[in-house]
Amino acid sequence: MSEVLARLDGIVRRFGPVTALDGADLEVHAGEVHGVLGENGAGKSTLLSILGGMLRTDAGTLTLRGAAVTLRSPRDAWANGIGLVHQHFKLVRRLSVLENLALGRRDASRGWRLPLGEVRERAAELMARVGLSVDLHAMVEDLGVGDRQRVEILKALLREPALLILDEPTAVLTPREVERLLTLLRSLAADGRAVVLVTHKLDEALSISDHVTVLRQGRTVLSAGRSEVDAEVLTKAMVGAELPGGSVRGPRSAATSGEVVARLRDVRAMGSTGVEALRGVSLEIRRGEIVGIAGVEGNGQRELALVLAGRAEAASGEVEIPSGTGFIPQDRTSEGLALDFDLVENVALAVHRDGFFHSGLRLKWGEIGKRAEQVRTVFAVQAANTRVRAGTLSGGNQQRLVVGRELALATDLLVAENPTRGLDVVATDFVHRQMQDAVVAGREADGSAAAVVLISTDLDEVLALSDRLFVMVRSRLTEVPADQRTRTGVGAIMLGGVTASDDGA
Amino acid sequence: MRRLSLAWTAAAAVLLTLALAAGSLWLGGFNPLSAGAAMMRGAFGSSSAILSITMVRAVPLILTGLAVALAFRAGVWNIGAEGQLYAGAVAAVWVGLIGGDLPWFVLVPLVLTSAGVAGALWSAIPALMRVRLGVGEVITTILMNFVGIYLAAFMVVGPLQEARGVFNQTDPIADAARLPLLVEGTRLHLGFLLAVMLGVGMWATLRWTRIGFEIRAVGAAPGAARVAGMISPDRVVLISFLASGAIAGLAGGVEVAGVTFALYEGLSPGWGYTAIAVALLGGLHPIAVIGTGLLFGALEGGAAEMQRAAGIPSSWVTAVEALVILSVLAVDQVRRRQRA
Repeated sequence: MSEVLARLDGIVRRFGPVTALDGADLEVHAGEVHGVLGENGAGKSTLLSILGGMLRTDAGTLTLRGAAVTLRSPRDAWANGIGLVHQHFKLVRRLSVLENLALGRRDASRGWRLPLGEVRERAAELMARVGLSVDLHAMVEDLGVGDRQRVEILKALLREPALLILDEPTAVLTPREVERLLTLLRSLAADGRAVVLVTHKLDEALSISDHVTVLRQGRTVLSAGRSEVDAEVLTKAMVGAELPGGSVRGPRSAATSGEVVARLRDVRAMGSTGVEALRGVSLEIRRGEIVGIAGVEGNGQRELALVLAGRAEAASGEVEIPSGTGFIPQDRTSEGLALDFDLVENVALAVHRDGFFHSGLRLKWGEIGKRAEQVRTVFAVQAANTRVRAGTLSGGNQQRLVVGRELALATDLLVAENPTRGLDVVATDFVHRQMQDAVVAGREADGSAAAVVLISTDLDEVLALSDRLFVMVRSRLTEVPADQRTRTGVGAIMLGGVTASDDGA
Repeated sequence: MRRLSLAWTAAAAVLLTLALAAGSLWLGGFNPLSAGAAMMRGAFGSSSAILSITMVRAVPLILTGLAVALAFRAGVWNIGAEGQLYAGAVAAVWVGLIGGDLPWFVLVPLVLTSAGVAGALWSAIPALMRVRLGVGEVITTILMNFVGIYLAAFMVVGPLQEARGVFNQTDPIADAARLPLLVEGTRLHLGFLLAVMLGVGMWATLRWTRIGFEIRAVGAAPGAARVAGMISPDRVVLISFLASGAIAGLAGGVEVAGVTFALYEGLSPGWGYTAIAVALLGGLHPIAVIGTGLLFGALEGGAAEMQRAAGIPSSWVTAVEALVILSVLAVDQVRRRQRA
């Protein structure tokens, strides 16, 4: 067996009355890729913050290469060869990529000079070696999420850490970039380093890890070699039980015959940066179908979502959208909810213009409160009552609130933008079921079901749920032919290697 | 739950301020207890102290405090209440001087309306700069304060100077332009009732109406207001900015029509700035702002007696007001940390 690089034993960490970690163990060997799995709130991020020197422990020991250590700061961790790639990017937006890489690298400089030249050389060499590419002179604020993450990874790798920790690194990457990253991680491990990969994607953990550790409610519940586990075992360990019965419905191949609820014809629209983000997009959406839109972030999906949901105007082209539209925006904490508002006020946010919920200028708080209570109970939002601030809910419960609120409005169309990002298995399953119910409900009965547009960077999600699937590349839509509905097929279209007809229009 | 934590913050901030204030007095060689006693006497020692001093002084503080609170609730950092107040005062005096032939029930509303409109127009400049050009309003409103203050200073040596041309002040406004007294034999004027009604009205608006809810939503989460609520933040910002300016302008008009009956340099001892402390201590809650406005009115009202009896410079009160802001911010920050 290879050398034990890092060992966490019986780690306990409390935040006020909340116990985030309650006896967690982790043992990382040199030369391995170690997958850490767990639901949201299981304590993964806390455990990593401890390993990264950002949090102290309340109890338990940390051993590095056989010696007990206390990490007092991230700098301490770095000095011990532990590098952390953050889930929430910690880059200075107003600086260039190169300047960000040079930040805190006084070690590489002589005197007071910022070591830009040295860092540029090393970064270029590293990028060539590992197959990451980022424009070093771009301003971080001009980069998309995917690029920002590549910068974070590059920043960590520049310090040549012996132990590299990545927190949910693949969420925003294209399949090919994911492949590249995983290849890179494998080569780093082969080089004798340890790589700790935190993820909630089972297949990802299974495909790359040598060893898997599962956390649940702050405790390590499973730690085993890759060969000893499968998806079912891991799911049970994470959830502590099996998922509710019945599997998520697969896609139906036949086009549904419901009436058209929304129609875009040759729509053009500008993005927030002033660049044309939709370049002649045409799309018809019918009742009773889930239309999936795959693609790497920043190819115009954002603008498509806003136009479909009536949140933005098209610059040209025809837009016909229904009035009964619900919208699940990608960022629930900044766009879906007002975190300082309670549940009732958050429901009011979406319904306060609806004639049923006001008379004249006056809001009918009684009716809004009833709707909020309905959302809370029907969608099982874990909150004591509707007067609880949304900011105190967990991510999954916040999303239940958003989904419940918007579904009630989506009598014709639901537009969902990465609706399960950052959610755990149970919450993801819940959101998927709700979207399916929305299109199924009433379809058999009277054809009054809603339509769902699911825009997601998670390929597996759109592949599993969509009746019709499109890929958005460079501001255009391309429909995925039935025989190409696989990860590789869709991945090829994403990269522009379109085999079938160009532009879905 | 919100109200409870609001009261807790205010109480903790007041205690912290008292401790700091007492400490500074002690360091200066004064007896904090006798100073406090003198201040209480000056503010609450008699019915005339309460009605003619504390409550009268509270009026411009409540009004500008409401102006600041409304803006802050919408996420508009209007630091320009002082300039808006002066714009309102200039307009009120002007109308009050030329409108002497009108009956009071026409002239008084006209004076107050023109003060409000002038304040709104004064705030329209930074408001439009923010909405149309994206210029931060903190700096523009501060700068507009100087323009407003010196505009008033120019008016009283220029176009609006008294007929005799001796002092840097205007002639007194017409009797018909003056606010009636609420209690005969005191100086308590109608403006106090207006301020209280405005506070209650603002509370009801924020609580019960769509525009009030939209103001709160834009202030609490602009992104969610736009995306989830389909609210136009620009429109809401503009409305609350102008309304805030109008209320601050009204404060200037009420002071001229209720207390001074003339405009002179230094009409306001910085109410527009003290208003920030009034609003923050009141947790930006309109009803609470009425209370904190009264508290600050007592503070300023009691300062004169404190100077007379204990020999403490009345300008020390200004330092205490600043301590209130610092205490509120400190306590609030601690509370946020604990919650996070």
